[in-house]
Amino acid sequence: MSDSGVAAPTFTPLADSALTITLGDRADAAMSARVRMVAAAVRAAALPPVRDIASGYAVVTVWYDALHTSYETMVRTLEPIVNEAAAVAPGADAPVGREHEIPVRYDGPDLDEVARRTGLSVADVVARHTGRVYTVYFLGFVPGWAYLGDLDPSLVVPRRTEPRPRVPAGSVAIAGAQTGVYPYAIPGGWHLIGRTSAELFDPMRDPPAVFAAGDRVRFVRVAE
Amino acid sequence: MIEIVAAPPYLTIQDQGRPGHRAEGVPGGGAIDTWGHAVANAVVGNPANAAALEWGLSGGRIRWRRRGVFALAGAQVEATLDGEPVAMHRSQRAEAGSELVINRFLGGRFVYVAFSGGIDVPLVLGSRSTYLAARFGGLEGRMVRAGDRLPVGDPGEPAVAGFAVPAELMPRYDSAEAGVVTGPQAGLFSAETWHVLTDTVFGIDAASDRMGYRLVGPPIEHAGDAALPSAPVCAGAVQIPAGGRPIVLMADGPTVGGYPVIAVVCSTDLPVVAQRRPGESLRFRVMTVEASQSAFRRRAVAIHTLAHLARTRETG
Repeated sequence: MSDSGVAAPTFTPLADSALTITLGDRADAAMSARVRMVAAAVRAAALPPVRDIASGYAVVTVWYDALHTSYETMVRTLEPIVNEAAAVAPGADAPVGREHEIPVRYDGPDLDEVARRTGLSVADVVARHTGRVYTVYFLGFVPGWAYLGDLDPSLVVPRRTEPRPRVPAGSVAIAGAQTGVYPYAIPGGWHLIGRTSAELFDPMRDPPAVFAAGDRVRFVRVAE
Repeated sequence: MIEIVAAPPYLTIQDQGRPGHRAEGVPGGGAIDTWGHAVANAVVGNPANAAALEWGLSGGRIRWRRRGVFALAGAQVEATLDGEPVAMHRSQRAEAGSELVINRFLGGRFVYVAFSGGIDVPLVLGSRSTYLAARFGGLEGRMVRAGDRLPVGDPGEPAVAGFAVPAELMPRYDSAEAGVVTGPQAGLFSAETWHVLTDTVFGIDAASDRMGYRLVGPPIEHAGDAALPSAPVCAGAVQIPAGGRPIVLMADGPTVGGYPVIAVVCSTDLPVVAQRRPGESLRFRVMTVEASQSAFRRRAVAIHTLAHLARTRETG
């Protein structure tokens, strides 16, 4: 692997019905753009056996119908598509996402603790959280959950040692270099700093998720 | 139309899943035991993807409001229809007013009740499967409860009652052994650790559900970070979190994970895992991708054969 964290794409099976294409070992904006370009190229190829495509920070995973093809055949088919897309330097060609403004009431139960741990005032925590435009790296975990980054380095705190058994839907949270919004009430270990009324996922809407990989998101402070 | 007279604590509507939306965070979902589900459907002349009841843990009662044909597959249960014993893996006719009583589970965790014509709830993102965590699909995204009435689709051609699955096409869950393919982070684990994974008889933890099954056994140690950059995972992925206690992701598991995946259970053996009860044992056996894909194709052929037999009334 080179210093840039970029290497020739490698393929590994994910059991019998999926494979993972690894593009590097970094989690940054340049890698994210490369991941989006590879995912877009695989999607555009519209290969008949492909059943689903999903991304991570540095990987693209492709599900396929193993009844009608094999792992080896899928790798041979995907290799030229993936290599061509991955070879393009991310930049002007990267798919351009949409912009979103998410209204947030900054009254989360962990806001004071985040201020204490970062040595900032609550007002500074809010100012630094709203002061950036975040990139949607990818969606996953639960429907509509977007991996957003990167946080202002001064806001980086590790996740809570005791995860909450139930985080309310709409909670705006931070952990590590990431920020995110809980679309559903689920267990979670991130620090809750605010709440939004935005509905991030509705299965009856098309598309169901508000965010898509590559979109840009700004949080806007609103009154109580 | 059928009516749930008495419901078990766990009862949902499932088809074969909801692929195509993982990039939006929606898991594959669908029947946790795709084998039992497909067999129940085949017996009553349904396509494998028809929606059926996934019935867990304990007994209950169903009443027919209009005559129909149904079958049971998956977990072994003791059941009666209007007082007469009901055989598993056999299509049966129920009249309007008939009552199916599931008395108790003899083995396994989830029994499938398939109705000729399929349960006709609306498609949500291309599937009728219930996804409890996000509350959509199935019946209003929730558990089916006593008093619920479920519409059954028109089967077109009337299904045959009295078709029984030939022994060689029966789903089997008694092996307690599941094939695995090495996972994307297999390289983080030493050869000794691999022996722990393949030589241990694991137990199934009580904290196991449609999201994942936790395994009880010696900890699985690895050389790398406990947390990796999050990457897509799939049903069957054997994740090793910081404490070293493996979690097998199931149908409604998260679509991405940050824990190392040491191995992935072959899709043909995931039903065996799904039907293990808390306290029961499970072993892993390493397979090649090729062997796993061959098993996958043999399973598909078996289900196709069964569906054909059921439609052509060649009872076994």
